[in-house]
Amino acid sequence: MNTPSTFRQYVTLLKKDLRQEFRTREMLTSMGIYALLVIIVYGAALALTARGIDIAHMGGGLLWVLIVFTSLLGLGRSFAHEKEQGCLEGILLVPLDRSVVYLAKATANILFMLAVEVIAVPLFYFFFMTGEPAAPTLPAIVVPLLVGTVGMAGIGTMLSTITINTGSKDVLLAVLFIPIIYPLLYACVTATTAAITGTEFWTDFYVMPLVLACGYDIVMLLVCWVLYDFVVSA
Amino acid sequence: MNPILADMYSTVIPSAPFIIGAYAIVWLALLVYVIIVVRGLKKTEEQMALLEEAIAKKTE
Amino acid sequence: MEKARKKVTAPEAGQWPDKVLLPALVAGAVLTTVGFLMAFLYAAPVNGAALSTPQLVGDNMVTNQQLLSQKIFYFHMPVAIVSFVALILAVYYGIRFLMTREARFDTCSRAAMEVALLFVIFTMVTGDLWTRFEWGVWWTWEPRLTTYLILMLIVIAYFVLRNAVDDPERRATYSGVISIIALVDVPICFMITRLIPSSIHPVVTREGGMAPDMALTVALIMVGMLLVAFALYRLRFRQLRLAERMQALKDQLED
Repeated sequence: MNTPSTFRQYVTLLKKDLRQEFRTREMLTSMGIYALLVIIVYGAALALTARGIDIAHMGGGLLWVLIVFTSLLGLGRSFAHEKEQGCLEGILLVPLDRSVVYLAKATANILFMLAVEVIAVPLFYFFFMTGEPAAPTLPAIVVPLLVGTVGMAGIGTMLSTITINTGSKDVLLAVLFIPIIYPLLYACVTATTAAITGTEFWTDFYVMPLVLACGYDIVMLLVCWVLYDFVVSA
Repeated sequence: MNPILADMYSTVIPSAPFIIGAYAIVWLALLVYVIIVVRGLKKTEEQMALLEEAIAKKTE
Repeated sequence: MEKARKKVTAPEAGQWPDKVLLPALVAGAVLTTVGFLMAFLYAAPVNGAALSTPQLVGDNMVTNQQLLSQKIFYFHMPVAIVSFVALILAVYYGIRFLMTREARFDTCSRAAMEVALLFVIFTMVTGDLWTRFEWGVWWTWEPRLTTYLILMLIVIAYFVLRNAVDDPERRATYSGVISIIALVDVPICFMITRLIPSSIHPVVTREGGMAPDMALTVALIMVGMLLVAFALYRLRFRQLRLAERMQALKDQLED
């Protein structure tokens, strides 16, 4: 019997996650609605300040708060199906490299988070940032969004594998996730804010954080990739 | 008192509470940790007594 | 299969480190006390803002305000370094556990992590009180402060995770993995918060170099604190180990 190549295994696992999601649309709907609700909360929170505040400097931060909490929700759910239906045990019975399971799951999470961002970012722009003319550098926020999403999904997949087996899984995921992604968050917020404001020396605040964020992504993904075998087999 | 001398040591008195506070809290935290360890020991001792009782009952 | 596996010598209560435990504790207590006295009586006070006119005190010409608040530094820096040493020790034992699956390494890792948390708290408290006096604020998002806050939160999360998992083997694996991630995360956090240019957060630069009297005091306290940390770690390890052995005996009796 010849075993399928690693890449084929990866594609099969990824397809499984995507097909499951397209059938139920559970995660995307809940994440999308949650993002909208956070925007509404912002509306209330900023109700009295909306005229005067410097939204260009706050926008990046608020956008990332939205992304962090929405992705927390999604990551918490990402192993729920596996757990409920005993699917993960089934996958682990198959003789395949555990890191393939990690990569497939992380890719699926990246795709879900990106899908939600595609809806949430324009909504955020629509509700808060149309008051002033946008800076010409605004499209550059795509890169920090992408880099941040990759890192968050990478770490988040690892952490949600750990927390899925514990009692208070959602709280524990947040408790672990937020401090660990703090450096990435800080870098991405800086880069995003630089792109939104687009002032004269904006690249000073844009390139360096992005390089550091990429470094964080690479290091953390490697660490998770190596350690995933231990976590999932425990 | 000489005003320049007063200026020289002007930050000493206001900063004293913070320094005392810092050292005191460190000392207290150390104490709390030692108490936690000792409490763990006591708990183990209690279990030891229970175990001895159980063994005595078994051998009877 | 079992025979082929190389036998690992796991740490156990009563091995050589426990023989030096008491001397280490006494030496640590003496050294930190001496260092404490030296910090206030021996080391020269550091200079603050310049005086309007220099003033002769004894035989010395004094040109600056004399700062007492800097005395916090004599404990702050050694404690910060010891906290990092303890963290590295915890990660080392975490890795040993993941490699050998020997539960005692996990106990070591846990005890070391507790000591790390204790010393991180020391660092935060001393640092924050200094910040409050010198900068006039309780908190500022300065790289060192931020990094230590994040480190503290991750270590706390580590213990929250430990409490949430019941199965010992699984708990040990997860803890080992999280401790490794924490150790990787902390330097990155420091680098990122430090390297990113920011108009809001002032980057505080300290005056470089230490006078010999300062360096000697710091060195004494550092050695003392390391010994105290070692004694605490070993004490906690023995206690945890005793509780584990007790539990094992109880389980055996019930069977």
